[in-house]
Order: sequence, then C-alpha cells, then structure tokens
Amino acid sequence: MTTGLQIQRAEVLGAEGLVKKYGNRTVVEDVSFQIRSGETYGLLGPNGAGKTTIISMVAGLIPADAGSIRIAGEVMAPSSIRARRHFGLVPQELAIYPDLTAKENLRFFGKLQGMGGQELKLRTAEVLELIGLADRAGEQTKKFSGGMKRRLNIGIGLLHRPTLLILDEPTVGVDPQSRNSILESVEVLATEGMAVLYTTHYMEEAERLCNRIAIIDVGRIQAEGTRNELVELTGGVDRIDLRGSGDVASASAALRLLPGVQKVDAGSSGIILTVHNGPGLLAPIVERAGSAGMALTAVEIVRPDLESVFLHLTGKALRD
Amino acid sequence: MRGLWTMVANDLRLRIRDKSVFIFSLIVPLALMGVLNLSFGSFGTDSVELKPAVVVANSGDGGQLGSALLETLDTLPVMEVTIRTVPAGDVSRETKDSGADLGIVLPADFTTAVTAGRPVAVQLVQGDAARMETNVLVSVVDGLLEQFSAGTVTATAGERAGLPHQVLGDLARQTASGTPALSLSEGQAASGQLSLKGSLVAGQAGLFLLFTVGFGVLGLLAEREGGTLARLQSAPVTRGSIVTAKALVGFILGVAATAVLLGVGSLLFGVSFGSPAVVALLVLAVAAAATSLTFIVARLVRTAEQANIAQSILGMVLGIAGGAFFPIQTSGFLAGLMDLNPVAAFIRGLGISAGGGGVADVAVPLVIMLGFAAVAALASRLVPDRGSRG
Repeated sequence: MTTGLQIQRAEVLGAEGLVKKYGNRTVVEDVSFQIRSGETYGLLGPNGAGKTTIISMVAGLIPADAGSIRIAGEVMAPSSIRARRHFGLVPQELAIYPDLTAKENLRFFGKLQGMGGQELKLRTAEVLELIGLADRAGEQTKKFSGGMKRRLNIGIGLLHRPTLLILDEPTVGVDPQSRNSILESVEVLATEGMAVLYTTHYMEEAERLCNRIAIIDVGRIQAEGTRNELVELTGGVDRIDLRGSGDVASASAALRLLPGVQKVDAGSSGIILTVHNGPGLLAPIVERAGSAGMALTAVEIVRPDLESVFLHLTGKALRD
Repeated sequence: MRGLWTMVANDLRLRIRDKSVFIFSLIVPLALMGVLNLSFGSFGTDSVELKPAVVVANSGDGGQLGSALLETLDTLPVMEVTIRTVPAGDVSRETKDSGADLGIVLPADFTTAVTAGRPVAVQLVQGDAARMETNVLVSVVDGLLEQFSAGTVTATAGERAGLPHQVLGDLARQTASGTPALSLSEGQAASGQLSLKGSLVAGQAGLFLLFTVGFGVLGLLAEREGGTLARLQSAPVTRGSIVTAKALVGFILGVAATAVLLGVGSLLFGVSFGSPAVVALLVLAVAAAATSLTFIVARLVRTAEQANIAQSILGMVLGIAGGAFFPIQTSGFLAGLMDLNPVAAFIRGLGISAGGGGVADVAVPLVIMLGFAAVAALASRLVPDRGSRG
C-alpha cells in the first residue's frame, strides 16, 4: 500500500482550524476544509468576508495565528519551499510584469518554479495556446487588454502543472467574453485532475464550477457542501420578490399573516418573501398585496440558489 | 541559488528595458558634472593663466630698494611684466591712456627713507580695466613694501638700542632686501586632496550612487504595488532570496554606474583617481553602504512614491554633507559625524588614491563605508516594516 499516493488522491489541500487576527480583530476564525484531486472547491462570500486572507494563508503569504495547512502532504509555512512546489497562485490583483512580453513573463515564473530547457519551452508554448495568447506571445503585456492580462495571470499560475491551483477572484473586472474563457479554462483543468481552490463573490461562478462550496461570512465558514446540499439548508423554501409602489408597509403586514409565508423583508421599492411552495402561494400573495394598497409592477419567483442560502444563513444578501 | 539569480537577471532586464536607470544614474550626473565644472572654474584646467601685464613706472630713487622693487616686478615668475619708465607727472595719465595694468611712482628718497626708518609714500595707479593681473601686481608691491618696512622697524629698534648710524643702515638694508627667515611652501595634505574637477566627479558619482541603488531594493515596493511580490512569495524560493536578489541588483547597478561615472568623468575632465584596484575597492564599499541604506528606506515607507521622496532626501543630505558639490568645513562632534558619511569617506578615499595611496592607505575610508553598510543592514532589521502592512 503506497500511502503517499493515497494521500495525494484523497487530499491535495487540508486546512485545519485556521485563525488570523489583526490586533484585536479576528478576520478568520476556525476555518477548516479539504480539497481532493480533481475537485474544484469554492469559497463563496461577499467582499471582506475573509476569502483572500484564507488564500493568503494557504499560499504561505501570511502566517496563520493558529491552525495548520498541508498541501500534497507537505506542511505549509511561510518558510516552506517544498509545499510551494505543489501549487500555483493566481492572485486577485494582476501579477505580471508590464515591461515583459507574455512569453517572458511565463518563462521567468517557470524558471522560479524550477523548470528549464526544453520542458519550459514546450510548456510555455502550450500554456500560451491554452490561454489564447500564442499570437501575442512576443508583445509587452502593457499593451494587452484587461482580459488578456487576466488570462496571462492564470497561465502563469498553471504553467508548472501544479497539483493545486489557487484562484482568488480571477474574473473581477473582466469583460463577459474573457470571463467565460477563464471559466472554461478552469473547467478543463479540473477535468484533467487538477485540484482548484476558487474564491468568488459571484454565485453563478461558484454554482457553475465548484463541486463543493464553503459559504464564508465574517471570517467563518457558515456552511459547506455541494450546491444541492447547501440549498437543502434553506428547507426547500422559495423566494418571491414583489416590486411596486404604494403602501408597502401595509402590504408587508398583511402578507406576514398569510399561511406558508415564513419571512417578510420589506424595502423601499418592494418586498422579499420567503415561502413554502412559491408557485402555489403566488395568487393569494398578489391578491393580498393589492388589497393592502400596494401597486405591483413585477413579481418573480426565485427557486432556492446559493444567494438564497446565503440570505438564509446570514440574513443578508451576498452582494451586500 | 538558481531562483536568486533568475530574479537578479529578470530585475536587471527590467531595469535596462525601463531605461530610467540610464537617465538617473549616468546621463543626469554626467550633465551635472559638466555644468558644475563650468560653474566652478575653467573647463580645461584647474590653474588660471595670467596674461602679460604692463607697468608704467617712475623711480626718482637711485637707491638699492627702488631698483629691487622694479626688478622684482620685471622678473615675476607667474606672468610676463613689461615696465615702461615715464616722468613722474605722466604716470597717472599714461597708465590710463595706454591701458597699462599698474602705475608706480617711487619717491626720490625711497631707499634712504626706508633705511633710515622714516615714513615714505609710494603712489600706485590702477589701470581702468582692473584685471586679475592688476590685483596680482598690487599684491606683489604690497608684499615688497611690507618687507621693506621690516627694515624700517629694524632700524628704529636699533637706534633706540643705541647702535651707531653706520650699523643701523646695514641692518635696515639687510632686513629689507634679504630673504625671510620663515617661508611658506605649498605641499600635499597627508590624507590626499582631489583637484576641483576630481572632487566634482567623485562627488557626483557618490551622490547619484544613492539614487542608483534605489532601483534595486526599492523595486520590492514596486513589486508589492504591481502585485508580483505575492507571486514571488508563493514561488518555491525563500523570502530571504527575494530580498537578497533586490539588494544584489541595487549593488550591481550601483557598482556599474559609479565605475562608469568615474571612468567617463576621468576621461572628460582629465582627472585621475589613481590605482584602479584601489578605486574598485572603494566603489564596492560605497555601493555596499548605499545599498544597505536603501533597506531602511524600503521598510519605513509604504509606497514607491514615498520611497523615491525619502531616497532623494537622503541622497541629497548625504551627498551634500559628504562634499558632493563643495567641501564642508566642520569641527568637533559634527566633524566626527560627517566623517562617518559614506559619501565623504568615498571622496576622501579617492583623494588618497589619486595622491598615490594604496590599499593600506584607504583602510580608514573602507572601514567607515563597510561599517556603515553593516550598521544600516542591522538597523533595517530592527525598524518596523510599515510597507508590509499597507
């Protein structure tokens, strides 16, 4: 029995009880998760939830105040060299040299990873092809569009064929076309067996890419599981969004009394209802809101999704 | 080690491609050297060449001292002097009309009066276009008259002591015309001195070195701002090797720029700094000191912009205090403090080297510069790293 191989297949990244404090403020508290080979694991949470801090600890950029990290069986610490060979980091900020060409950027970071000679030459060409920059390989990256830079940013992270690819919000500020291209690249890498740690505050990205998702808020994992497992946490309830004007307050009060309505959140321009069996309750809800003096302009039934899960767990919207 | 040299090579490539290192480390200091040389003296040489001068003179004195005065002017080694003799009443007009540099009227009893210890007046007329040559001639006459007056003092003292008149005359003549018992001769200071041009070349090289090394260590801040530092820190290289790579880049750029500035400066301005081996040691030492200093700056500032400002202030303060533009004269504690300035030590070392000094002779400046490097490197470990919190 070869334990090493088993460890690699079973677990590429293991984080246990991570804690990070800045002064008296705890920004990451008791975070634990594991990622297996070929799995894409998402950290989903709003800005400031602690995702980048977790990534920074995993990548050895900052030390954890408590807890442990193992990457491909190697203990990760700020001084650990061996653990660093097993992952590629794609930081949230662009991390490329604008005065170097795309090819020079790839070759430099490839050499830092210990690559060289023919291996580096072939792999550089391969990655340039993968990220769609083969025809612009000799151009200085300062002439690139934002999307091209983002693709190169990712290309550098996966150049040395890491066991684990860490992507920190890779699609922030990217045009839809480039964003789709990036998501497709991640999907391809996952099918090739690479483990991916992916942070995002875009629910759609997490739903599309991730096998398992941890919902992060205020530095803690609020829930973890597959998409369906997380949705189950909401108790199978639907969300009904009512938009309109008039007496919203009276409508809210009236709807609270309706059987099947679990929660009513009233805003200035509408009401969000959490209900059991949304389609079945739609007609009485519309009727009661109208009777209470609210002039409806739009009604939408939202089936449970990660946004709903987040709302259910934290009481606030993902993009708050 | 491979990672270290990969980072060094990449940084050097970036600096060369950026080109600002050439502008700030070579072009600007060379231009400044040229401007300062033009401002502080003639371009080609340190010495001033005096032009031929004309003296219009009348000496009614048939004695020894009057002749001695005019003969001294006629045979001045520093410039060619022509003496034209005219009647006493014409000296003033002739001096002005002919454009002569100086007119002199010696009274008829000049020698007699001097040797007898009596007051005597010598009339000097300066030419209309008072030139440097006129000033030199006046100074020479002034000096001669002072020497002659010493004869008067001697004669007066002898008379009061009751010496016979014959003896008094001999004493006065001997004192007035003899060579002084004490003399001043120009020599070389023990520490060696650079010429004006040499000081400017060495000073500018030392001053701009402080800016040049900043391209290395302060590159850490640029990496942080550009986002690439996180990528470097996540690569399988030690934190120490990242910092060491930056230091090496600063050091290499500093050594190269200083060597080029001294070399090109020597050729352009005709100065020599002595033994290349000694100069090389001094350059290596001052580059080490300057590089260490930038570590402190890199830890104290949060942005590359702050770093540039701090580096400029430090560079100017150390450069000026070190004598990059003009020598600074201080004494006491301040002088001791100034001596610890690596730029001052560098210039002093080059002075010693230019004066023919060897490695042993520049030991003190070398120790100062290397000591500064060690202390600055240590201090940089102790000051808080404000940038990493940014």
